Parts: sequence; C-alpha cells; structure tokens
Amino acid sequence: MADRYDVLIVGGGPAGQAAALALDGHGLAIAVVDEQPRPGGQILRQPPGHFRVANWLPGGAYDRLKAQLARFEGLSGVDWLGGHSVLGLLSGDDGFIVQASGPEGLRRIEARRVLIAAGCQDLAVPLPGWTLPGVYAAGGIQAFVKSQQIVPGDRVLLAGTHPLQLLIAAQIVKAGGTVAAVLFAQSRAAMARAMMTQGAAAFANIRNLLMAAGAMSTLRRAGVPVRHGVGLQAALGEDRVTGARTSEGEIACDAIGLCYGFVPQSALPRAAGASMRVAGRAGGWAAEHDEWMRSSVPGLFVAGETTGVAGAPAAMAAGEIAGIGLAHDLGLVDRATADRQVAGPRRERSALLRFAAMLDAVADPADHLPAPSPETLACRCEDVSFAAIDAAIAGGGSANAVKLLTRCGMGPCQGRNCEPTLLRRLDAAGRHGDRGFTQRFPVRPVTIGDLADPA
Amino acid sequence: MRIEKDVERGEAITLIVDGAPVGAFAGETIAAAMLASGDSAFRRDMRGEPRGLYCNMGTCSECLVTLVASGRRGRACLIEAVDGLEVATHG
Repeated sequence: MADRYDVLIVGGGPAGQAAALALDGHGLAIAVVDEQPRPGGQILRQPPGHFRVANWLPGGAYDRLKAQLARFEGLSGVDWLGGHSVLGLLSGDDGFIVQASGPEGLRRIEARRVLIAAGCQDLAVPLPGWTLPGVYAAGGIQAFVKSQQIVPGDRVLLAGTHPLQLLIAAQIVKAGGTVAAVLFAQSRAAMARAMMTQGAAAFANIRNLLMAAGAMSTLRRAGVPVRHGVGLQAALGEDRVTGARTSEGEIACDAIGLCYGFVPQSALPRAAGASMRVAGRAGGWAAEHDEWMRSSVPGLFVAGETTGVAGAPAAMAAGEIAGIGLAHDLGLVDRATADRQVAGPRRERSALLRFAAMLDAVADPADHLPAPSPETLACRCEDVSFAAIDAAIAGGGSANAVKLLTRCGMGPCQGRNCEPTLLRRLDAAGRHGDRGFTQRFPVRPVTIGDLADPA
Repeated sequence: MRIEKDVERGEAITLIVDGAPVGAFAGETIAAAMLASGDSAFRRDMRGEPRGLYCNMGTCSECLVTLVASGRRGRACLIEAVDGLEVATHG
C-alpha cells in the first residue's frame, strides 16, 4: 500500500499539531504519523478512547496545549496515522519515501515534504540495580498517570536533578498514590545559583513557575519529603525494586523514577543525514535548522524537542513556524506574508528558549549522575557492562568501534539509552567530540518478516 | 494501582499472560494491565534476570513481549489489550 501526501508530519505532539494547523486551509494532503494511538505527544498523553477521565490534567500550563489539541483533532483535512512507528526515510527526486510499521505490517508513504517533530525522551541513567523491574524513566511513570490512569507502584521514589519531578510527584499524590520522597542530587543553593545567573529568563514563562509552586504545596500537604543534595546510589531488591540506597541512607519503595533531564529523539534526522549539534547538558543530539525550521536536508523540516529540549510551549511555536515555512516552501504563501505570520511565534520561541536555557542549567545532571559499578549494565538491550565498555574504550576507538567490539548500542533501542552514557565515558577518557553511533534504518524495532514481505 | 478518582474505564476484559488470566479494561495497554495486576517482569535478560518496563513510550523496548497467536514480538507499552489476547514474557 502506498500513500502519497504533500506533507508528512512525524509526531502528533505540540509541534506537529501546530504545523498541521498552520498548514490547514491550503488544500494540501497532510498526514500525521505517531506511535501513540491518539494525538497529544508525551506532554498530553491521552487516556484510551474507552476511558472517561473527568478533570484531566488540570493546571494553567496545560490549558493552551489542550486547546491546541482540540483544534487539531477538529481538523478534517488531516489523516491521522496513529499506532505507526517510522522506521526511516529516503530522499527521492521530488520528496521522500517513508517506511512505517503498524499493526498490519509495513506501510510505505510518499511525501513531498517531511516534518520531523519526534519529541524527546528521558535521559537513561545507569546505576547499580537499574535493570530491576520497578525502576522507570520518570517520564514513563508520568505517562502512566496521564494516560493509562495507573500509578505503577504503591510507594514511588523520584530522584534526579530535573524540577519536573516535583510536578510528577504532585500528580501521583493527586491521583491517590504515595510518594516516598523527591530527591534532588544538587543542593538548593546550586539550583538557586543557576537560576540567578540566567536572570530574567526565569520570568519568561511564569505559568511553569506557578505550576512548580503549586506542586510544592501539594507535596507539603501530603507530607512528601523533598530533599536537596541527596544522591541516589543504587536500586535495591531481588526480583524487583524494594528500596533505594541514597547518600543519606536507605529508603523503602517499590518504584523509582529517574529524572535527570531529557534528550531529543534524534534517530530519524540522523539517519536521514541531517546536520546535528550537541543538545543540552543532559547530552544527546539536536537537529540544526534555519529560521524556517528547515534542516540541512532539502525538503526535510524539523521542529520541537527534536531540535533541542525546550518544553511544549516552545515546541508549539516552532511547529507553527515550520508550518508557515512549509507553506512558503511549497509556494502557497509569498515571502512577505510568511514573514508577517512568523513574527509572533518567532518572538515567543526566543523568549521560551531563554527560559529553557535557564531550566537546563538548573537541572544540569553532569556532576550528579550516580556512579555505576563495573557489573552495572551500560547497554540494557545487549547486556553490556561498564567493565566491558571501559575495556573497549581503553583499547582506543570511537563510539562506533566500541559498539562493534561489545554490541553496546546494537539492540532494539538502537543506542537511545546507552549512547549518552558511552559518550560521557569516552569524554572522561579524554576522547572528546565523538559523533556517536551511526544511525541506520530501521530506527525502531521491526520483524524481519515484515521487512521481507511488505504489505 | 489503578487510579479510581474521576476515572471511568472501558468494559472488563481478560488477557492471558504466560498462561494465567489477567484482568484488564478495554483500552488499556498490555503493559498497564500487567503492572496493575502486579506483573512487573516483561522479559528475561541473558543472565535470566527479570526485566521491567523502563520508558513507557516505545523507546527502550524493555517491554518486548511475544504475542502468542502471531508469534510477533511487540512493545507492551504500545499495544492495546484485547479480550482473550495471549502474551508470553519468556521469548
């Protein structure tokens, strides 16, 4: 089955929705493809269609995002391709051939232009015991609360450096769950210092700050300890998590959320050959772009967290810029009109990027990551220990060479979890500037049978 | 635990995980149904150790389970549970 579109948008989050809305009304054939069944992205991971959730995601910061989502869901001229994973894209004569896998197998989509708005993921943080069931990326716990309406544990510990964990903890409490504690590895003074040095940027997004204040008071009322300067050292347990060892003693818990920051989903633009830059302090790679959100690959646009983690409102603004840029690029809007239309979102995005830089400094995990033991697995997919990657690093060679020697990064996650770890390890060994793994098709797991027998 | 406040779920259904029935609600992912019933191991690693779901967004593939009828492996965090669906966590 081949589908042809003028514009294919990868990712139905705030950036992808904004782009689709900006492109609406030009008579284009547009599709939005997403791994989730419903649009929203991670920030608005919707409950299943069979559920009715009253008072879903209350709070001022969500209101604008929910309003945009409702407008997006009301679009009649956009094909929603939920439940599909994009495996890769190839540049052709007049556009792209995109391979996606879904419940019915492989799907081939042709598109004149592609926008990658693939979002971000939690930085994976190896520590002794982190492969025990019950240790989660904090964003994974939050997605369960938002979407599936479960709290995956009776006593949840959140630990890391990113202030988002306050909001996640408050959402768990409001859902009726129990939070053992919220641990910040950095001191309160260090957080305040980072905030002060970035000055006025802190006030660029007052809604986020008010939300953090609201989360703090929820946690205070529930008696949840919020501690600073307490580092997580190990997840404890036999067959699953039963506790955590910290720099100030053990804490009983049956779930741990690791919250040390976020890295862009970069596999698709990298595999397409787009020019990338080092992302924020948590690591990872961000797609480079011009003032219209065009990547270095002709016809390929990028927006949102794929271009650097800056939060949902900034992704919305970038998606709108990309949508206007796409319309201009396709000859549907003249330059003067496009310039006029992008002025607002560009201004807004600039202010939000300053706020994001402040948050990135406040949440900087670099000096606070837990210490792995030699047996700790750096690569979860292929069971490669730190001892193994350190031995390979000592023998010389790049991230790609370590991958070939040890299988680190060869598993189904395609290095998404272990690459930042390996690059930090290479950096610590004095080998700076490694460009990481070469990204190849397919960027998501797919069965050999589907590849051999495309539908 | 399933959140009760403000939530109306779909109809009650039953999944089969490693031969045992697991109660679920229409619309839940396989992962949510398993975790809500206390099943935290989704696969075994090369050392035979249990592995849990990690990212819950389709990125880490730690929740790869086998769909018994088709033999396909899939990410439990992305696949919706349907009544009678049979899942294996042992490859």
